[in-house]
Amino acid sequence: MAGLFLLMTVGPSVAADVPTGAQIFSKRCASCHGTIGEGVKDKYPRALAGDKSVAQLAKLIARTMPDDDPGTCTGADADRVAEYVFESFYSKAARDRNAPPRIEFARMTVGQYRNAVADLVASFRPARKPDGRHGLRGEYFNARGIQTNKRSIDRIDREVKFDFGTAAPGPDPAKFDPYQFSARWSGSVLAEQTGTYEFVVKTEHAIRLWVNDPVKPLIDAWVKSGSDTEFRAPIYLLAGRTYSLRLEFSKAKQGVDDSKKLKRKPQVRASVALEWKPPVGTAGIIPTRNLSPESSPEVYICSTPFPPDDRSYGWVRGTAISKAWDQATTDAALDAAAHVAVVADELAGVQGSNRRRRDTGSGNPASINLDSQGGVVAPTPERIGKLKAFARTFAERAFRRPLDDDLTKFVVDRSFASAKDPTDAVKRVVLFVLLSPRFLYREADASPDGYDVAARLSFGLWDSIPDAELLAAARAGKLSTREQVESQARRMLADPRAQAKLHEFLLTWLKIDRPLDLAKDPKKFPGFDPAVIGDLRTSLDLTLDDVLTSQGADFRRLLLDDTLFVNDRLAAFYGAAKPDGANFQKEPLDPGHRAGVLSHPYLLAAFSHASETSPIHRGVFLARGILGVALRPPPEAIAPLPPDLHPGLSTRERVSLQTTSSACMTCHGVINPLGFTLENFDAVGRYRDEERNKPVDASGSYQTRTGETKTFRGVRDLARFLADSDEVHSSFTEQLVHHLVQQPVRAYGPRTLETLTQSFAKNDYDIRKLAVEIMATTALAPRIQKGTASPPPK
Amino acid sequence: MFPANSRREFLRNLGIGSAAVPFVLNLPSLGFANQATRKQRLIVVFSPNGIFPASFWPDEEGAIFKLKEILQPLAPLQDKVLTLHGVCDKIRGDGDGHMRGIGCLLTGIELFPGNIQGGSDTPAGWSKGISVDQEIKNFLQKGAATRTRFGSLELGVMVPDRADTWTRMVYAGPNKPIAPVDDPYQLFNKLYGRVKDRETLKSALDDVTHDLKTVGNAVSADDRRLLDEHATFVREMEKELKETKDTVGHAVPKLEPGIKRENDRMPQIAKQQVELLVTSFAADFARVATFQITNSVGQAKMRWLGITEGHHELSHEPDTNEKAVDKLIKINTWYCEQVAYLAKRLSETPEPGGPGSLLDNTLIMWTNELGKGNSHTMDNIPFVLVGNGLDFKMGRSLKYKKVAHNRLLMSLAHGFGHRVKTFGNPNHCGDGPLNLV
Repeated sequence: MAGLFLLMTVGPSVAADVPTGAQIFSKRCASCHGTIGEGVKDKYPRALAGDKSVAQLAKLIARTMPDDDPGTCTGADADRVAEYVFESFYSKAARDRNAPPRIEFARMTVGQYRNAVADLVASFRPARKPDGRHGLRGEYFNARGIQTNKRSIDRIDREVKFDFGTAAPGPDPAKFDPYQFSARWSGSVLAEQTGTYEFVVKTEHAIRLWVNDPVKPLIDAWVKSGSDTEFRAPIYLLAGRTYSLRLEFSKAKQGVDDSKKLKRKPQVRASVALEWKPPVGTAGIIPTRNLSPESSPEVYICSTPFPPDDRSYGWVRGTAISKAWDQATTDAALDAAAHVAVVADELAGVQGSNRRRRDTGSGNPASINLDSQGGVVAPTPERIGKLKAFARTFAERAFRRPLDDDLTKFVVDRSFASAKDPTDAVKRVVLFVLLSPRFLYREADASPDGYDVAARLSFGLWDSIPDAELLAAARAGKLSTREQVESQARRMLADPRAQAKLHEFLLTWLKIDRPLDLAKDPKKFPGFDPAVIGDLRTSLDLTLDDVLTSQGADFRRLLLDDTLFVNDRLAAFYGAAKPDGANFQKEPLDPGHRAGVLSHPYLLAAFSHASETSPIHRGVFLARGILGVALRPPPEAIAPLPPDLHPGLSTRERVSLQTTSSACMTCHGVINPLGFTLENFDAVGRYRDEERNKPVDASGSYQTRTGETKTFRGVRDLARFLADSDEVHSSFTEQLVHHLVQQPVRAYGPRTLETLTQSFAKNDYDIRKLAVEIMATTALAPRIQKGTASPPPK
Repeated sequence: MFPANSRREFLRNLGIGSAAVPFVLNLPSLGFANQATRKQRLIVVFSPNGIFPASFWPDEEGAIFKLKEILQPLAPLQDKVLTLHGVCDKIRGDGDGHMRGIGCLLTGIELFPGNIQGGSDTPAGWSKGISVDQEIKNFLQKGAATRTRFGSLELGVMVPDRADTWTRMVYAGPNKPIAPVDDPYQLFNKLYGRVKDRETLKSALDDVTHDLKTVGNAVSADDRRLLDEHATFVREMEKELKETKDTVGHAVPKLEPGIKRENDRMPQIAKQQVELLVTSFAADFARVATFQITNSVGQAKMRWLGITEGHHELSHEPDTNEKAVDKLIKINTWYCEQVAYLAKRLSETPEPGGPGSLLDNTLIMWTNELGKGNSHTMDNIPFVLVGNGLDFKMGRSLKYKKVAHNRLLMSLAHGFGHRVKTFGNPNHCGDGPLNLV
């Protein structure tokens, strides 16, 4: 950093005898302004800081400086000293760079915003009570439509994938008229990713599908029209949450029932399948593990598009405000306020409040907001009281702390006093609350109290606002000791939202938390199609969850496990044993040759070219991502040598040839010997002994920061080293801190990373325990106010 | 990233933000791109179950004719009326008469095979094509000079809460029925919700600015910078909000509160819908509208006329049942009154920025899914046109010899300058549009 800095300020073209900006400053300016522009008492006491450009500064200096002899520092001298001042301590960027790391005041990230709004509204709905069962409730009716008194079967179906043929469902055909019957599957579906899911129903008959919204169907094909047998619709869902799902099916004609008039009922086939296409991963039948038979309350989902958050530090931060962000926030608040106004009576617990929403079928959504003009629910004093209490609680949960009297008046009372209708007042309160800095920003208080600790915990583990239990603990003063914080963190980890956040972290750690193009040359890798790629992603997701949810959540298993989650398709492609049934199962693959995620085909393919492997991409991933080595970007973009130019060379030899120069070797001396250890796996992650009829050389090495040179032969050797390496543990810990708290780890003290890494080792590399440790360490930390500039790096 | 049908873009609807464009706002200050030429408009009014022909069709042909009992409410506007006898819906195929009657009425094309079974014939699904009102709307929305905020409005009165072939007349395309909005309060929110939202947002932003200051005072100077930046954007938005103050440009209609959506309130609901429709046209929110009173096989019980039976069951009575016939005439006269009231309100409303009234630039087409209820005939579909929007020669009674109604649908498109070669099933478009000029 320091070297780069000097390069920028001085510039390589300055001849040795010309004084640098730094030299001029020290000679002619420092006596009044201080050696680093911090100011000198009785001379010029204020620090040099501001927002003028280099050119403006140069002009000012040429005209006015030095104070005792203006006009003697002009031209190139003024330019150089201005540049030095600007880059060293004057500009905002320089001041930020020079400041010691601190807990940053920031707004919520976009992901946190979506979660917070969803959980805020959901906190007024009954909590879901999962009982651990999987699948959907399946009810079958001996009638054209859903008629409870005609129900003949009531059971749990593991998935919806039925071919009834021309017969009736169930073991007892006597219960059914196979000519016409209906069925309903209901329960919940868990979304593991945030993004757009596509739901797909395949059937020859009439269906209606509701997801999340209990009123308006996501797919309405109750009128069968034309020959379509596949119906699909997209919906944006948030990870770590379950959504109510209901599928109604009818093998019958609707309208007039003429079945009794028919002399001979034709034999008609019937089948139905409920599938989905997640944002990434396997498209197909919605798997049993994502389904549960009990229903879920509606989740309000903010789907307003937002500009992306800053990721320049390697983790998302809400430190930038833009007009686009402000507009998106306002859009989202208006949308949420409109929704809450429609369901306000339900959320506030007003009696008889379930009549306000109706649906007009396949056309427009008809969630209507009957305001004063509609006047369906009369504004009785009792109703007004409940809505007002709701509005106040809404503000408190959004602000993560109780409202004092003044704020209650400001936020709630005034709205209710001025609005003609209490629903309008609720809308007004919700709009304000969601636009208030008290909701949007985090870390406003210099000395955090229990409520701040609650918010740090919830944003840290859930990326969302505190739940009732956290707020209660804050109220009772039970978030002031490390033990209390730890015990809350442990409780919170059981929530699917924490699971989703840790899962997301592992994807970030593996550098695959963004859309990747894994497509390969179809001639070289026939069969490696989008379906296989989707399966690989699901396989990797299952691998990560398998470790995260296991007893001990041992980090080392991520690197050392020698099995692979496969379905039929993957087993066939990679030559693993076929799993029992169509679902994913863990199977051994290439015994003795595989090592956890390091040899997972998804990663190996992600860090490969379209037709060849890429030891450089794999090496960079290992060095930067796993070992935490800081690598500078290459000085210029260089295309890999085409293999056809050197038909006699292996990939390893080609890469070595291209990076032999000493300029390359500063970094590639680290990168290449790490990447070479994975050469036993081709560009789609299949094991190979030979490449181009030559035996693969998968030997490699790494020089540790203590100076030892470690050598490896193949991925298992490498994995054993990495699993035990302090560097790897420290890098993993640091990245997890950043992912959870979104603050630089050094903001919590110079030795915090070391202490956390040691506790990681002490706890047998339990990832969940590490998350608890991180929260216990960071949630109670005081904020350091940003002081004056410290000396620039030497 | 988001499904195409994600929620509406609020700021855009509020008339602020970068996405704001003049045509969305109808903002006078930004110049009426669509105000230069004469505005032409179309309203299709639907009532169900056929009519009683002997009390409906004028006996005479030509400019001198006498309006029969059912059409009497139109007498004050007779010189603006054009009756078209002999126009037949020749679409056959799947579906019973009522289904095809409404589903092919504006689409001019067959229904898909499907699972909706009528009292006779084969089951069917939705229509195979776009309806003519949507075709014209799409045509108008394509040109900057004719584009409006909504393009078209789909209104209804007491349309049942079920989506099937009998309840849908308007189609955005094959298998894409559009549900009419039959709740005036819901329609009001669609038309004017943003005015209220804008007021609410304006007052909320005031408080946000205040709150940013309060919170800003409690944080360090460095942290305040972020909040100051934020406050700048909030102020900008407030300013934009103020500048777009008068986007409606007319008095927001007042709706009588608390009218429930039920059979006995049909007269009030119909009146409210007409008011909203007329103001929407005056404000140039849209130039095409459909107004679907009940549905095909509609069962309105017009107790306010002293009729307790449902309309559809009455429509099946034989012509010899004089009491039933009498009631059917009363029912259809009531429907005609709604058309006449709409025409009257349009004729009383001056054309904004132009000469004459809205009715001088609007064509109302009143129609029905059947020619006659008890025979289920689709011959002689009652087509009654009112108003001068398409420059047809009005004040006439025309009698055709069983021409396909596709040709009339083509005339509507041509009236807007949209010279379609065929519309719906091309086999029924033989001699092109009917010449009504």
